[in-house]
Amino acid sequence: MATENLEFPVPVDLSTDTVREVRPSPVRSPSLKRQRLISRAVLWVLLAAVSVAMVTPFAWMVFTAVRSPEELGQVNPPFIPRTWHFENFLRALEAAPFHIYARNSFIIGASNVVTTMVFGASAGYALAKLRFRAAPWIFAWLLATMMIPFYAIVIPDFLLARFMPLFGGNDIFGQGGQGWIDSWWALLVPGMVSAFSIFLLRQFYVVTPTELIEAARLDGLSEPRIWVQIITPQIKPGLLTVALLAFEGGWNNFLWPLLVTTSEDLRVIQVGLSVFRQESNTQWDLLMAGTTLSAVPMIVLFVIFQRYFVNGFVNSGIK
Amino acid sequence: MSAATAEVLSTTAPPRRRRSSLRAEKMWGWLLSLPALVHTLVWIGGPVVVAIMLSFTDYDVVNPPEFSGIANYAELAGDSVFWSALAHNLIMVVVVVPISIFIALVLAVALNQGLRAQSWFRTMIFMPHVTATVAIAMIWLWIYAPGPNGLANRILGVVGISPSNWLTSTSLALPAVMVVGIWQSIGLKMLIYLAALQGVSPQLYEAADVDGANTIQKFWNITVPMLRPATFFVLATSVIANFQTFDLIYVLTNGGPANATTVITYQIYVAAFQQYRMGYATAMSVVLLLVLVIVTYISRRLVGSTDGD
Repeated sequence: MATENLEFPVPVDLSTDTVREVRPSPVRSPSLKRQRLISRAVLWVLLAAVSVAMVTPFAWMVFTAVRSPEELGQVNPPFIPRTWHFENFLRALEAAPFHIYARNSFIIGASNVVTTMVFGASAGYALAKLRFRAAPWIFAWLLATMMIPFYAIVIPDFLLARFMPLFGGNDIFGQGGQGWIDSWWALLVPGMVSAFSIFLLRQFYVVTPTELIEAARLDGLSEPRIWVQIITPQIKPGLLTVALLAFEGGWNNFLWPLLVTTSEDLRVIQVGLSVFRQESNTQWDLLMAGTTLSAVPMIVLFVIFQRYFVNGFVNSGIK
Repeated sequence: MSAATAEVLSTTAPPRRRRSSLRAEKMWGWLLSLPALVHTLVWIGGPVVVAIMLSFTDYDVVNPPEFSGIANYAELAGDSVFWSALAHNLIMVVVVVPISIFIALVLAVALNQGLRAQSWFRTMIFMPHVTATVAIAMIWLWIYAPGPNGLANRILGVVGISPSNWLTSTSLALPAVMVVGIWQSIGLKMLIYLAALQGVSPQLYEAADVDGANTIQKFWNITVPMLRPATFFVLATSVIANFQTFDLIYVLTNGGPANATTVITYQIYVAAFQQYRMGYATAMSVVLLLVLVIVTYISRRLVGSTDGD
């Protein structure tokens, strides 16, 4: 039935009309109308139930963060606090320097964005648009590195940072000091660019018109200018998508900053949260205030730029 | 990959290009991809080789590595904690992946029916995915708090279930962790399915309507088969992601109680950064790497066979 329908090259708008004429439209009969209403209601109930299950933990986090100490001590406090104590956030900041943690995470996220925009975009463009013999090989290599789980290489990466020659008191053989450990280098350099961001950017560059490049070449523009001024403006939404993912990667990262930093000045928010939990003896209001600080920036970014996030996540698999 | 390679190769040179401009293109191709190439060689490629080499040594960071043959792997074979870590990874794959895939698929179909509020629902369902796992784990740590103050115990108390110590009970800890895993991973899968559903022709459903198929029949006979490529993709990525669970375990349970929730990544962390047994830890990394390469290989074969490429 369906294939029969597809075989006729009917213009799209026309075909819907034809369908209406030939077949009795299901919506017109009253019993089907009721069935439709019921199925809508079932959909609503299902989606609302799942949404509640998804949001409740976040609501619980915020409600706990603003709860009064008395309510927190009660056995069965009301789900929504009676009074909202936003000064809990200030108390949390006094208990642990979450503002420093957040600043550090922001710097890492922002640095990831800048370096990915430069090195990721350059590689993505070169692999999508420039013809040189190694291009398919480099691309295949990048795809292969995407398969490597971080946990399989975390030890050599750590040792590389630890024994980085001529840094942190190390000699030329990487001995004697602590290398990049507990330094911005270790926090910023490994996250500079990821194979995944290059892969995504390449996807965005591939669909830009090659004629533009040819025309710009005839006009005598240099290759880097064509990349920066002619083609890159064509993929602004793609750039935003990759930038958001790069920032998210920096902000949400945990294991690597945990391993390479020791001082509080360089602690990132996710690590700070984890350390605060161990040190604070589970003061849940303060811990949830800290958790809110760590979670909310990404949620806000996501709600604002939802379309671009979705674009990136979906592109991660389906071409 | 093959399609991409072909694409790069098939862009034919335009007529009447000067040789100098071709040379410039070649040079800039190299120059622009060089930083990324060097970066991945230094931080990923080289480390894979080093990890494999270190796995045949005894190494405590202070003293130079000493070659120890296959001693690390032999010890691994007899390490019951490692085997239970591997088993927990497998249990998580077998439980978390199918359940979250099924829920995500149902939600995606429900969100594809043109409800007016669907973007709100989508936002809420996807929220856990953009939130840092550490923050997620912190919230659930509080939800699972023992006694009547924990939200989980409170909610279950309403239906008359007595409070449990979710994360400190050897029998409940792993299921409790898996609930969080399912909760957190539904959003991304749902999004991928939603994107894939855009490619399913509405005419298929119209035809089924004419044939008198009901909603459930349409779901199983049209939606599920049409989404097969997406399902394989989701399956592969979530198996891989499950083997890389770490933050959740680190915050929620530290692998405990009595190793009841430990996973391979956590064992790697303990061996390397708490016991400073780098050789032994890298042996585990190599096993993890092998497992994931095999999973990726199998999934590519499967996806390839359905894509027809």
